[in-house]
Amino acid sequence: MGLKKAFLRLATIGLGIGLMTSAALAANLRVLAWDGYADPDWVKDFTAATGIGVDVVFIGSDDEIWAKIKGSEGQDFDVFAVNTAQLQRYIKADLVSPIDITKLPNQKEVLPRFRDLSQVSGDTKDGKVYGIPFCFDSIGLIYDTDKVKPAPTSMSVLWDPAYKGKILAYDNGEHNFSFTALTLGYKDPFNLDAEQMAAVKAKLVELKRNVLSFYTTADEAQQIYQNNDVALIWANYGQQQVKALQKIGAHVAYVNPSEGALAWLDNWVISKGVRDNAAAEKWIDFMLSKKIGGELSERTGFGNTVVESSSAGGNDKLVWLNNVEDPLKRSDLWNEVKATP
Amino acid sequence: MSGAGSTHAAERRLSQLITVLAFAMPVVFVLVPLAIFLVYSFFSVDQGTIVHAPTLGNYVRFFTDPIFLPVFWNTIVLCVSVAVICILLAYPAAYFLTTLKGRWRYALLMLLLVPLLMSYVIKIYAIRSILGLNGFLNKALVALGILDQPSTLFVFNMNAILLTLSLLLIPFAILPIFLSLERIPQTLLRASDDLGASGLQTFLRITLPLSLPGVASAASFVFVLAIGDFLTPQMVGGISGFTFGRILYSQFGTAYNWPFGAALSVALAIVVIAAILIGERFGRSRGTSV
Repeated sequence: MGLKKAFLRLATIGLGIGLMTSAALAANLRVLAWDGYADPDWVKDFTAATGIGVDVVFIGSDDEIWAKIKGSEGQDFDVFAVNTAQLQRYIKADLVSPIDITKLPNQKEVLPRFRDLSQVSGDTKDGKVYGIPFCFDSIGLIYDTDKVKPAPTSMSVLWDPAYKGKILAYDNGEHNFSFTALTLGYKDPFNLDAEQMAAVKAKLVELKRNVLSFYTTADEAQQIYQNNDVALIWANYGQQQVKALQKIGAHVAYVNPSEGALAWLDNWVISKGVRDNAAAEKWIDFMLSKKIGGELSERTGFGNTVVESSSAGGNDKLVWLNNVEDPLKRSDLWNEVKATP
Repeated sequence: MSGAGSTHAAERRLSQLITVLAFAMPVVFVLVPLAIFLVYSFFSVDQGTIVHAPTLGNYVRFFTDPIFLPVFWNTIVLCVSVAVICILLAYPAAYFLTTLKGRWRYALLMLLLVPLLMSYVIKIYAIRSILGLNGFLNKALVALGILDQPSTLFVFNMNAILLTLSLLLIPFAILPIFLSLERIPQTLLRASDDLGASGLQTFLRITLPLSLPGVASAASFVFVLAIGDFLTPQMVGGISGFTFGRILYSQFGTAYNWPFGAALSVALAIVVIAAILIGERFGRSRGTSV
């Protein structure tokens, strides 16, 4: 008798749990994000504040986001994170929905440079907002404070013969053409005409002669720094790279050059297949709170869009990375630069 | 009777299956991939997608563009130098090994081959910290008073690649040379001694000629491994050490130009096959004359 009762109770509980989870799954917000953009404690706070459950899937590369969103035509996720260079591709493929920023009260409180989204290249199309900036980092200049005096203000210091053989640059044609174009004062470093391209190439050959080596990973740059006389590093990995160097006792500082630093910017976007638009807006607004912004920078070292961080001062000029006119051409020219004796 | 027949048939089928598998493995894992990249080398790329229409454009570009042939040639010269350095260092080591008796000989051989068990990337990292301007080599030379100040002679240039590749590949030179030296019959050496030849004469007239097949295969081994390497030049080559492997790698990594990369690989493969054939030919003609 007692056994039968126990079985019945167990079955009821089981049924109850089953119903609860399926109900929860139906209403849960589906988020696709980079590691560090949806930490468990934030998700817990969000659910506590709004009553909306969240399922987070983490991704490891831009290609993976594209495969997941394009593969389901946006039906598998409600909100996802993508950078400004990639976003236009999603808009073109009709995979994202425009966002009504009046539904995001926190967006009014963000740092000045992110307030007018029409000024953030890549976030809008035809007057409609598609991306809400969330996390960024600049690609500035790391300099050894003992060796480089006074502190540099422009990337042109990389061409200074005083630092010949003491410079680490990054082995990537696309970025190198872009930053050199900025140094030469070109307006749009991502769309160079033939004449500008030739000028940038000649300038890069000069840079190459001033450089010790081209690195590819942050670890590699750090190791070269430790074993050689390095004064300046073109910091592809931004803040993380500076902090790692400072941790090993290097006397280094970071500067965003006056002509503008290249920078990447990740945004929250709402997918075409969103099930509950209001829940998605609540998530984005929640992510723009001062508390989460501060914690994001503290935990990842990247800049957030709400409170000031070490990635960029308020007056630093940042140039959001965009797709370049012809990646193949830049890669070929970069090989030519490297092959020039 | 019939039972025995069926087991025979089953055995025959099994052995046929094994034969087919034995032939299928190299076909599937070697010949088919080679054929695929040969075919790819006749495609082209437009706006980031591969165009599957045959063209000779990649090969024309390889021969006419001013950057590829010089880099290709410099890389070949570099790898021949690596092979020569490896032989010069490996030959005395291998010869010394053969003079050892019994257990010592193989214990020492094993010790020389131990570096092969280590990760290749870790070795490059280690060598790089040895070669740096504040690295071990420079510090030691300055401390010993050989240099006044650290030298940049081995920092991020062709010399660094040459040194690193030689260091990495020496074990591959020691082994074949050791094997060919060990195979020389002791009776020949004793006969030479009996007939009044000096040690040097015996070495020059008997040991050296008979070990040349080992030297030839060691040289082709080292050359082939060196020319296919892109990581070493990438990591220690700096700005002047630009090799063919790095160009090739960039076609797959950053440029997404697989067809052109495939065409460059074909050029590399031709050189590699030639090196192997030359090594083989030398190895055999000397070997069979014994």
